Amino acid sequence: MTLPFRFLLRFFRTGGGLGLTVLIGSLPANAAASTNLNFEVHIRPILKAHCFHCHGESENPKAGLDLRLRRFMSPHQTEADGAVLVSGEPDRSALLTVIRDGKMPKGGKGPTPAEVERIAEWIRQGAPTLRPEPESLPRGFYLTEEDRAFWSFQPIRKTSPPSDREPNPIDAWVALGHDTAGLQFAPAADRRTLIRRVSLDLLGLPPTPEEVEAFVGDPAPDAYERLVDRYLARPQYGERWGRHWLDIAGYADSNGFVEADSVRAQSWRYRDYVIRAFNTDQPWNEFIIEQLAGDELASAHHADTQSALADSRRREALIATGFLRQIPDGTGDGPPDPNLARNQVMAETLKVVSSAFLGLTVGCAQCHDHRYDPISQADYFRLRALFEPALNWKEWRAPSERQYSLYSAEERSRAEAIEAEARTLDTAADQLNKELLDQVFEKQLAQLPEELRETVRVARNTEPDKRTPEQKELFKKYPSADVRYSLDLYDPEGNKKVTAKRAEANQIRSTKPPEGFVMALTEVADRVPETVRHHRGDHDQPREAVRPDELEVLAPLGSLEIAIASARSGKSTSGRRLAYAQWLTSGRHPLVARVLVNRFWQHHFGQGLVRTSGDFGHLGEAPTHPELLDWLAADFMEHGWTLKRLQRLIVTSRTYRQSSVHDAAEQRDPDHRWLARFPLRRLEAETLRDSLLAASGDLNLFPAGPPIPVARHGSGRIVVGEEKLNANGEPVDVGSVSGAEMRRSVYVQVRRSRPLTVLETFDLPVLSPNCERRALTTVAPQSLLLMNDAFLVEQGRHLARRLEFETGGLDLSRAVPRAWEILYATQPSDSDLARCQDFYNRQLQIFRQNRPPDSTSSAESEALASLCQVLLSSNRFLYLE
Amino acid sequence: MNPYCSSRRHFLRAHTFGLGGLALSCLLGRDGLLAAPVKPLLEPVQFDLKPKATPYPPRARAMISMLMIGGPSQMDLFDPKPQLTRYDGQPFPGEIQYDNAAEASSKVLGSPWKFEPRGQCGMELSELVPQLSSVADEITLIRSMKTGVNNHGQSLYALNTGRITAGRPSLGSWLGYGLGCEAQNLPAYVALTSPHGMPLLIGENWTSGWLPGVYQGTVVRPTEPRILNLDPPAHLRGEAQANQLALLRELNREHQEQHPGELELQARIASYELAAQMQTAAREAFDLSSEPEHIRKLYGLDRDPTRDYGTRCLIARRLVERGVRFVQILNQGQSWDHHGAIITELPARCAETDQPSAALVKDLKQRGLLDSTVVHWGGEMGRLPVLQNDAGRAKCGRDHNTHGFSQWVAGGGFRAGYVHGETDEWGHRAIKDIVHHYDWHATLLRCFGLDHHHLAYKRNGTELTLTDQQDARVIQELLA
Repeated sequence: MTLPFRFLLRFFRTGGGLGLTVLIGSLPANAAASTNLNFEVHIRPILKAHCFHCHGESENPKAGLDLRLRRFMSPHQTEADGAVLVSGEPDRSALLTVIRDGKMPKGGKGPTPAEVERIAEWIRQGAPTLRPEPESLPRGFYLTEEDRAFWSFQPIRKTSPPSDREPNPIDAWVALGHDTAGLQFAPAADRRTLIRRVSLDLLGLPPTPEEVEAFVGDPAPDAYERLVDRYLARPQYGERWGRHWLDIAGYADSNGFVEADSVRAQSWRYRDYVIRAFNTDQPWNEFIIEQLAGDELASAHHADTQSALADSRRREALIATGFLRQIPDGTGDGPPDPNLARNQVMAETLKVVSSAFLGLTVGCAQCHDHRYDPISQADYFRLRALFEPALNWKEWRAPSERQYSLYSAEERSRAEAIEAEARTLDTAADQLNKELLDQVFEKQLAQLPEELRETVRVARNTEPDKRTPEQKELFKKYPSADVRYSLDLYDPEGNKKVTAKRAEANQIRSTKPPEGFVMALTEVADRVPETVRHHRGDHDQPREAVRPDELEVLAPLGSLEIAIASARSGKSTSGRRLAYAQWLTSGRHPLVARVLVNRFWQHHFGQGLVRTSGDFGHLGEAPTHPELLDWLAADFMEHGWTLKRLQRLIVTSRTYRQSSVHDAAEQRDPDHRWLARFPLRRLEAETLRDSLLAASGDLNLFPAGPPIPVARHGSGRIVVGEEKLNANGEPVDVGSVSGAEMRRSVYVQVRRSRPLTVLETFDLPVLSPNCERRALTTVAPQSLLLMNDAFLVEQGRHLARRLEFETGGLDLSRAVPRAWEILYATQPSDSDLARCQDFYNRQLQIFRQNRPPDSTSSAESEALASLCQVLLSSNRFLYLE
Repeated sequence: MNPYCSSRRHFLRAHTFGLGGLALSCLLGRDGLLAAPVKPLLEPVQFDLKPKATPYPPRARAMISMLMIGGPSQMDLFDPKPQLTRYDGQPFPGEIQYDNAAEASSKVLGSPWKFEPRGQCGMELSELVPQLSSVADEITLIRSMKTGVNNHGQSLYALNTGRITAGRPSLGSWLGYGLGCEAQNLPAYVALTSPHGMPLLIGENWTSGWLPGVYQGTVVRPTEPRILNLDPPAHLRGEAQANQLALLRELNREHQEQHPGELELQARIASYELAAQMQTAAREAFDLSSEPEHIRKLYGLDRDPTRDYGTRCLIARRLVERGVRFVQILNQGQSWDHHGAIITELPARCAETDQPSAALVKDLKQRGLLDSTVVHWGGEMGRLPVLQNDAGRAKCGRDHNTHGFSQWVAGGGFRAGYVHGETDEWGHRAIKDIVHHYDWHATLLRCFGLDHHHLAYKRNGTELTLTDQQDARVIQELLA
């Protein structure tokens, strides 16, 4: 018992600054006996989670029983179990007994024993309410005062830092937290640690030894601040930080959803747009508006998007809408149920948008009112209505119809001439195909009884949907006589001739000028479909129509109407997404800025101030430093929504600059809640691979453009390279991509079904649809990869070659210190040197006797390479501290 | 209950996870002290394969699934239909959905093979599976499987991952997530692929989908090297790599001493130890040379048709013995997809798998492991009562059918010598005691002491399960 109690204390301490609702909602049940319970705070959330679905929020409450108000319960009698509520007598109240006896809820999880006990205690106490209840309620969902009072729905408030003890406001709040927890800042990290930390954090690459020495030797008091400025100005910054946002968008170079996982050849333009936005420090209010409504911003609709692309600013805005085209989308790959696939794209779109900007999980409300958060099913469909003009499932446009050509007029006419030539050949192929099928048919016919032949001929030449029942019956009996397609199955030789003609046509087509496309989200001009609520989330059960709107708990119903009207004026698009994006970035939205700054914080420190960065709702955690979160959010908006300024403030804070080693903090705050040291963490997959390439000197910093392909290797791994296939479409070899292998990981193709093995092993997320926060695993396959994978062995050799070159020959007393500088930004100790020397000697012995067959280098070089591989696999290299 | 809160000890070790609130709520939740809903799993967390407690007492602790991709013909192996023999060659009276229109035919095809009652239980099985017949009293035969989606890929997704679409975690990953692994020097989930080629959907069969990568199946290749990166490159074998690991350990230890209390760094050091152990343990598990002659013979390692499959079955038994949780044995492509030449092809496939799969049941039984090991044999579909390609007996086959097909299962708490469910008189559609893929999953999870509602993974704030809100039920009749 002592243990949980200690944790309990910590738990209550952390709850110190939170709203009452949160705290009481989590009260242990044994505390309930001594607490005055009430319906609104203590009981309603349990019933909402387990009972409202049938008894309150459905169109017709089951058994006529509505549990949304205390006053609805007491007069109600059940058929078999007596009165629903007898005040003061839990055992005579069906509300309790049916749950306790397992009769309710039907299916799924019921309340926990502690929750059941809480209901009993409430009835025992006389089943009180906090305040008088209304006489009646409109059917379905309604918001309570408790719902509205939840912390994350309150306006963002900027309060002054608690003291001027620390010049940086961030540190002032963190220090206040330290006071509460009896902690202090860790000592400042030394400069070598600090430059490696900030370089990996801001650029995703280790600092070069020259940068380290310059920084360590810089006597200026603002040496660190200037270093940060230099890093923020480097193009590699956008590649690193853009990648974080690409996780949120669910960026991929393939369509996913079905097995085919077809390639999205043009997705990269959006990836480059994101990197550009980070590098140019584009204000986030603009960045958000462009991504959600760039088409409306550019006054472009489906039919005139092509011409809008000629203008560079409009083009940029249209590329930005690629944000909404990253969702897995199998609608162009012949999905088994097209309507389901379309609605799935819509559902995933809402998931991405809500997790990106609201930090709420609206997905649950697709089928029923949210069980924990005040989000109704109507809310969900109002949100959906914002996007439906662009993603109209009844007049769907497949991914290929949402690409817009970047051809110039001259290129277009040249291409059209070539196309006409190819089409002539296609027509000839079609003609031949038909003739051959007719011949096959005659042969099939000849096998049938003579008296039937004419009837079958007539039937076959009738389109299937126009056939009479007799004709259909005929083919049920003789299915193989219905020869209308699939020549390959009947006449393979003839089919080859047809195929050859088509191939010729394609050969001619391939001489067209290369055509680039933009993947954009657009609406069809003046076409605004009605959005209806889908009963149980099923698109085949349409119900009442809904108007586009924000979630009711975030803004009064109807508040978007005027904004939509004004966004629409003079345009042929609906104005809905533009109005919504403007509201999100208005500065008055309670969630957007909080969610964004929390995520930035998470990337810097490994965890956010709200640690459930994707859930700011009831099931999420409350912020550890609520005032700091609000201050950062407000400050971010006040200063034009620019990220670099905020990051400068964060990374120059004392909080960020403290050491990762701090005994007292480790003991008293193992969860890093109070930031009394910098949390050590493993490099993310891309940073790890890029750092390996940088260390060996191979890194190719060529930016932007189409992705570097990935290929299936015979060993079962997915590697970077050109996949060579045999006639059966099986991979047989991997071709070189001439140096592009060594480009940064953000430029490697993101094929959902073929993640690069070295990245996947280190927790590259699966994007279906997006990823709010990466998992970090520590497993044996990672070790096996570092020990045995050809990539690591090669990187070891490359690093060895670099050391030999840079230290002028193979002298361990110079090579080892150089390796330490490159990999760890520091110098080896004498014992490190001795160990390495000893290791080298032993490896040299082995390699002298047993030269590696696949290496042309000397035993000496190979021994050094083997040392390098160890250093590249060491924790000092794999972790940021 | 969240599987990560299975033991206090586990929690206490877990404070590097940075999860005070979560851990607390789990501890209290376990003791029934906490009234709020269980908090979502905070990410990023460390996911591991330490053994986890289950909400129900488990019957099974391991599973070997012999996947027969392509669709073995139920009416020729497991589900006798005299009606087909009576109507052989005559037009089928009902509605049929064909996959291949050019070769479609409405002629009923009676099974060319004889069925007889087998074992004490009298279960009727075809002459194509004589060895299986010898263990009829050990198996549960389900004749009413249904996925209802007439396509190999989708039906296979349904059986492997619960839904017909790509991207979800496979059954083996769920088991690893919910139960951990008893062996800490071997993977929890092993996929054994065929020397003749990769299965349909390749890696999608053993994907962990959106579950953390640690739960993904480890592919054991049919030839050496059996595990990716298991063996060092030639020049690092032996002492060279041992030296590397020794140096690495020294460097990491020293680094760790500078960061007292960082359990993550300790875990990384341990993962190298595990990798090194796995190199030995996995190699030992795959080395069949220590198996006595009578065992090798039992699995058919002495004969051509059964050698490949028997080898993999024997490896599977050795893995399960050593604490591996889930082993999947896969065929190449969709080699049970007998659209044509069923008269020769089906016996050929049976000749490869019948003896080894029955040997697995016998061998596990004699070792006392059958009670705790689920042995499963089945594909993603069955076949139609009518023939395909009416071009003579040698060429004809049967087209797809996912509306009613058979599979068998033994051990791990399943009811021995029992036949469950029925198809209609033509063997076309399951009509009685239908077992949908999600019912199958719910039942399997229950054998392992898990509950399909509760075994959930939080993702983007949503609780996701294997059965994914389908109307799944645990089929008690299947359980002993």
